[in-house]
Amino acid sequence: MKRKIGILLVGLVFMLAAFVGCTSETNQEATGETNGEVAAGVEYPTKNIQIIVPYSAGGGGDTVARILSDALSQELGRQINVVNREGAGGEIGIAEMARSNPDGYTLGVFGYPDNFVLEHTRDTDFTFESFEYLAAFDDMPMGIFAGPDSPFQSTDDLVEFGTANPGALTIGESGALGLLHVLAFSDHLGIETAPVTFSGGGELMNSLLGKHVDLVSTSSMSHDPITDAGGHPIGFAAAERMAMFPEVPTFKESGYDLEMGVSRVIVAPAGLPEEIKEVLTAALDKIGNDPELKARFETAALPYRYLGSEDVSEFLTRSNNTLKPVIERNIERFK
Amino acid sequence: MSILSPSVLFVIFSGVMIGIIVGAIPGLNGAIGISLLLPITFTLEPQIGLLLLGGIYMGGMYGGSITAILLNVPGDVVAAPAAMEGYPLTQQGRSKEALYYSIFSSMFGGFIGVLILIFFTPPLASFALKFGPAEMFFISLSGLVVVGALAGSIYKSLFAVLFGLFISTVGVDMITASQRFTMGNINLRSGISVVPVVLGLFCLAEMFLNIGKKATEVVEYKDQDINKMTVIKDIVRQKSLVIKSSLIGTFVGLLPGVGTTLAVFLSYGEAKRVSKNPELFEKGNVEGIIAAEAANNATVGSSLVPLLALGVPGSPTSAIIAGALIIHGVILGPSLFVQRPDIAYTFIFGMLLTVVAMTLIGAFGIKYFSYILKIKMEYIVPTVLVFTIFGAYSLRNNVFDVLIAIILGVIGAIFKKTGVPLAPIIIGVVLGGLIETNLMRSMTIANARQVSLVRYMLTNPLAIVLLVMVCAIFYVVIKMRATTKTQ
Repeated sequence: MKRKIGILLVGLVFMLAAFVGCTSETNQEATGETNGEVAAGVEYPTKNIQIIVPYSAGGGGDTVARILSDALSQELGRQINVVNREGAGGEIGIAEMARSNPDGYTLGVFGYPDNFVLEHTRDTDFTFESFEYLAAFDDMPMGIFAGPDSPFQSTDDLVEFGTANPGALTIGESGALGLLHVLAFSDHLGIETAPVTFSGGGELMNSLLGKHVDLVSTSSMSHDPITDAGGHPIGFAAAERMAMFPEVPTFKESGYDLEMGVSRVIVAPAGLPEEIKEVLTAALDKIGNDPELKARFETAALPYRYLGSEDVSEFLTRSNNTLKPVIERNIERFK
Repeated sequence: MSILSPSVLFVIFSGVMIGIIVGAIPGLNGAIGISLLLPITFTLEPQIGLLLLGGIYMGGMYGGSITAILLNVPGDVVAAPAAMEGYPLTQQGRSKEALYYSIFSSMFGGFIGVLILIFFTPPLASFALKFGPAEMFFISLSGLVVVGALAGSIYKSLFAVLFGLFISTVGVDMITASQRFTMGNINLRSGISVVPVVLGLFCLAEMFLNIGKKATEVVEYKDQDINKMTVIKDIVRQKSLVIKSSLIGTFVGLLPGVGTTLAVFLSYGEAKRVSKNPELFEKGNVEGIIAAEAANNATVGSSLVPLLALGVPGSPTSAIIAGALIIHGVILGPSLFVQRPDIAYTFIFGMLLTVVAMTLIGAFGIKYFSYILKIKMEYIVPTVLVFTIFGAYSLRNNVFDVLIAIILGVIGAIFKKTGVPLAPIIIGVVLGGLIETNLMRSMTIANARQVSLVRYMLTNPLAIVLLVMVCAIFYVVIKMRATTKTQ
């Protein structure tokens, strides 16, 4: 009896190791038929692939990674495991991606420009060039929101109040991009504000809806929960009005040339062999242009915009050039 | 769809079962179980998927207590008080009694939490919003004061809580982003999370001390039987304790970020304060088990209140449930009950069934759980060590967390030998960051509004009430200490 239970327990250990350890390659056989292409003598993929997400489970970046891994694994015929490696505002996971072997079996999904902001505000182990940018899937502008019963309706109201009361306007934010957006926004409006740092989306919402801060800086994904609870958007930092929220003005319309947003990208460590890159980009182009993937993103309130490997590099370089001066002007706020 | 259809019942029972298993395994908890099964819910109907996750959440809150009571190895942070009270009972050969108290208190707490979710969601959600930085600061402070109510030398307790607060300062400062005690190590930048600390202090330390001991030296297994009804009757007799603990769990569970750990310790401290036999605490007092277990299961329902009503998750686990809802295109907030009543109502009423499933599995499983005690230590030690190391790793898939757990395991073993209590360390780790960041936020806002910090922090009546509460707890703790000394 005793021995049996002992053996049972040990067996359970291994079972669980196999169960939770989807992160390791315990499951070598393919889930479906292998339709990975053979390009120039390279057979890829021959084993399971892991996607590192530098955030915890449940958030926007994680959601994107899970939707993608599902679609991509059907396309490549291999299991794709999402590994959450959160911490230090995404730095730990992104650094891990940069260090990984560029063999195509470790990929990463994160929200650009987290890597760029981290790189320029901290002493990171990675740079923008540490990655091969394979594709981008969404385009979610940052926005400024006011809480229930807020007297502020437009940027004009903010400028008026901010000029009369320098430093009095409290704006909640979380994450490096949230702070950068507050700083850039205040800069454009020419007013002094007081950013209040929160540790995540939940706390941020609580502080706005409970009227503990005047405004919050967060992405357009929070639009519905905020308006539902009686708050309203001041505007989005987008190039043009969003198809999902056509009634929300852009800052551009009010004369402030501020564009800032999150775009979830899928990357591989730099040095990825050309043949493997071809297989991956072909698979990504195929799922990226599939209306079903678009529908899944939009169900999750993620504004879909697919950019293939060439377009994404061009887009990111352009975006870097816009962000860099903003970061440099406000660098002391990050230290 | 009827919530009593076989497929729904099957999902609920499987969820609770998975929850109990991941909860019982050191290092794994409901949050990890839910994130593992999250992808499965993409293909299920939203209601079914949510109830699977809800079942894991409910079961996970209970599962940790099983190993806590039997082996002094809490499967989860919230089960630490269950180990403090339950393990001494096991050593006295009263393991079944402890397990019955644990499951039935969990049942009462779980029911009260879910009933409050069903009937009071709108008013409670607006109550939760009243907690700004100042209120969060005071409520976290109250948790720190409770440490004084735990047994043992006051100096050792103070040392332990300071040690916990020190651990919480490691990492990149949330507000100023300056690095503290990181020694240039990237892993230390995100700080030391509470899970590896608990695994080290409780699970590894206990196992390290057990290495080399014979089974008979650890626990003499006596199958002292106890009738289920006796236990239920006794819990019902102590209804004020059960109700008060469940309400503490419900209210503290509402607050985003403060979480279950604080609820459990506050409720435990309160039970000791009102107890007729406070000297029996930490020597095996069922009142402590009732208080802690009722409180932790009560938080399950209430942490879903701000999530469903406002889209604000009240705990890490409910944040993952929020992710699942978003993937299904469900917009959280006041209109959820209007736009998707099918999902909202099936989910919250189904949560009542998760309590039923947990009670059934728990109550009938106890016979089998106790077999763990028949296993020789030479099997238990390596098994727990493997699970703990594996659990620490699975937290963020990071070997560094395993290292933290091992270091704290050694420290924990030394502390156990020298009589330094371990619970205050956990309280310090959990609350240190909350106290600090909320004070900093209060300072920023006070500065922006050009009022003094004290003026800002005491603007709202709720903050004043909380401050009075902190002072009252402090006074009671001092008085309690004085009376135990004179006795």
